[in-house]
Amino acid sequence: MVREGRMFLTRSEYDRGVNTFSPEGRLFQVEYAIEAIKLGSTAIGIKTEQGVVLAVEKRLTSPLLEPRSVEKLVVIDSQIGCAMSGLTADARTLIDHARVETQSHRFTYDEPMQIDSCAQAICDLALQFGEDGKEEDAMSRPFGVALLIAGIDVGGKPSLIHTDPSGTYVKWDAKAIGAGSEGAQTALQEAFSKTLTLQEAEVLALRTLKQVMEEKLNKTNVEIGAALVETGEFRVYSSEELEACIERL
Amino acid sequence: MDPLLRPGHNAPHLPAAMGPGYADVFDRLSRQGGRVETTGTNALPTFDAHAGAKQASFQPYQNNGGSVVAVAGKDFCVVASDTRFGLGFAVPTRMISRNLVLNDKVVLATAGMQADTCTLHKVLRIRLDMYRQNHGKDMSLGAVSQLLSNTLYYKRFFPYYTFNVLGGVDENGEGFCYGYDAIGSHEKVKVVCTGSSQSLIQPVLDNQVDGKQMYDGQPVAELSLEQTVELVKDCFSSAGERDIYTVGLDGRGQPPLYVKILKLAFVLTSHPLRSKYTRSHFIQGQSPAVRDSQTTTDTYFT
Amino acid sequence: MERGGFSFDNCVRNAMLESAGYQPPKARKTGTTICGVIFEGGVVLGADTRATSGNVVFEKNCEKIHYIAPNIYCCGAGTAADTENTTGLIASQLELHRLSTGRESRVITSLTMLKQMLFKYQGHVSAALVLGGVDLKGPHLYTVYPHGSSDSLPYVTMGSGSLAAMAVFEANYKDNLTEEEAKLLVKQAISAGIFNDLGSGGNVNLCVIKKGKTEVIKGYAQENPRKYRRPAGYSFPTGTTSVLESKFQRPVSEIAVVTEVVSESVSMET
Repeated sequence: MVREGRMFLTRSEYDRGVNTFSPEGRLFQVEYAIEAIKLGSTAIGIKTEQGVVLAVEKRLTSPLLEPRSVEKLVVIDSQIGCAMSGLTADARTLIDHARVETQSHRFTYDEPMQIDSCAQAICDLALQFGEDGKEEDAMSRPFGVALLIAGIDVGGKPSLIHTDPSGTYVKWDAKAIGAGSEGAQTALQEAFSKTLTLQEAEVLALRTLKQVMEEKLNKTNVEIGAALVETGEFRVYSSEELEACIERL
Repeated sequence: MDPLLRPGHNAPHLPAAMGPGYADVFDRLSRQGGRVETTGTNALPTFDAHAGAKQASFQPYQNNGGSVVAVAGKDFCVVASDTRFGLGFAVPTRMISRNLVLNDKVVLATAGMQADTCTLHKVLRIRLDMYRQNHGKDMSLGAVSQLLSNTLYYKRFFPYYTFNVLGGVDENGEGFCYGYDAIGSHEKVKVVCTGSSQSLIQPVLDNQVDGKQMYDGQPVAELSLEQTVELVKDCFSSAGERDIYTVGLDGRGQPPLYVKILKLAFVLTSHPLRSKYTRSHFIQGQSPAVRDSQTTTDTYFT
Repeated sequence: MERGGFSFDNCVRNAMLESAGYQPPKARKTGTTICGVIFEGGVVLGADTRATSGNVVFEKNCEKIHYIAPNIYCCGAGTAADTENTTGLIASQLELHRLSTGRESRVITSLTMLKQMLFKYQGHVSAALVLGGVDLKGPHLYTVYPHGSSDSLPYVTMGSGSLAAMAVFEANYKDNLTEEEAKLLVKQAISAGIFNDLGSGGNVNLCVIKKGKTEVIKGYAQENPRKYRRPAGYSFPTGTTSVLESKFQRPVSEIAVVTEVVSESVSMET
């Protein structure tokens, strides 16, 4: 039975349950969740030999809004940070989970967690939607958020990983997510080189953001951070450092 | 003070366990209330050994003895243990393994109760496999040291009756050891011994490896791998003379069944010249035939 | 007036301390394998040589075959002090007995004296004995238990290694053994204890008693020679341990030299 005259005319009843495949083998709820990310603000990650830069757009919908309360760039563990796009409230759950996992790893093994393992831990939770809820964090629907995870492994190897609501994670040299991701990804593909310095990556990230942003880019409506090989730590830049980056544009 | 170490506590006898002193005896006396009586005419206190509530006793622990040693050098670590399984005055088995080769760089040796040793080794083996699968690499010596500590502390109030030494080479290729108590307190050291001959062997190792009691603590010459092995063998040889729960070395040739050899489990090294001592030289096999052919220490180093 | 025997002065005090959790000092036990066998014309006694205190080997080559009389020896297991004193006491009483009677001691006499003493102390004297000897009635072999009972058998074992040793006897004993067969059998029995009982160890000591001849053989078999010594050895040259502080003290009083002076005026009295 096909219901017509609705928003998605052809997708019928197979888009209700999160555990129901369509006859073509698709999970529509997951695909919708991926669509949700395209509504989010743009976030960009670029990997260089010196570290991984993350830059995000903050949509300030009102001049009365306190810009610092919009947080789209967060620290997971000292060596891992993360940018998000989509339903950022969902990201909270994932990031809290990742923080617990990385701390637990430190407690159990007296060593920092690998960036890969951290992404895996996040995706484990992202996949648990629709399960019986034995896991406290598990949700009844897919998480409507994508993450760019940046970090430095023991030994100084930088990693940039993208996760999406399907629980897939993939490593990238440069990746854009969110509303402007298509244009941004094209721009990154053209400008990226393995020999980029960290500073060049900062500039590239901001320049790319600037291209896809509706507002004029300034120090209040973007955030930038980086995982540095030199220190082995992830840090969100202060507004002074951000300003310096913008000036180099 | 650690409650487990308190006199009179029935938990396993940790290495540092103390006997009750007078102060403690009288402290306990005063808390026993009616059981201490002094009559007017006879000042002597009288005791009824059968007075007081009876309690069914559950004794989940037994001590199977054994001694384990780890000595670390610049780029190697020697982990050794004896093979005697003692029970009271009996020797149910002469050839048990107290060693667990966790990976190419880490070896654990455990004295104490053999059943707990087996369980602990099984748990750790599984944890290391899981780690390898989850994180795509072998656990480092430091990571194992923390995992072992957590595993022991997890059973803080019903501990594994085991006394562990962990040895290996770290990420930089330097040899290190860790010594543990039964509930996970541990220390990173260069030389450690635990088990029934701890009090006999540790002072010798401290003196010979660390230079304790010599030349005002000036550094002593570092031992080579061969010298370390000789020292460790001598320690077991000597301890076997005086500790009934530790067996010494046997001589060359066919060892008689009744005395078994010190099992030098594994010599670890990252030094390329020493790569002839690879994992395959050492024993983990459960088959007695395999073990007999490989555990004679003398065959390792000739 | 001072009387013989033990003093029980501290028994009540000790019972109180013990019930309060105080551990009394531990006596040295000879966790032991001892045994004996009768052969044609004599007895062979055997013992291991390990003395332990808890887990620690206190003495690697001690003697557990005690003299009772020239023709009677006695192996002791249990608390070392008890076996030494019990056998010593009986040996001296028998010596007096021989002096007053001028006759060779009989094994049954020593057995009776031992078991009467042990029974008197109700098992508190921890001596488990293997008593053997040859007298005018021929060879005799007994075991004596700490409470004072005894057995008379052609082959006997005692101590913590007694089961291991008895296993050997049960497998290999036969009547009318020759002296050499008996010695070998006893050696095998003690060795079984040495290897299978952690309380026993060291070497095998034997005592062979025949009519008119007694032979004590120490180290009849050396079962546990040390097999390994570090080739480099251990060398501690003078000055290895630094002297932190030194202080010299003169003797409390001056040294007195005593010279013996023989007086010629004193003559020996006869």
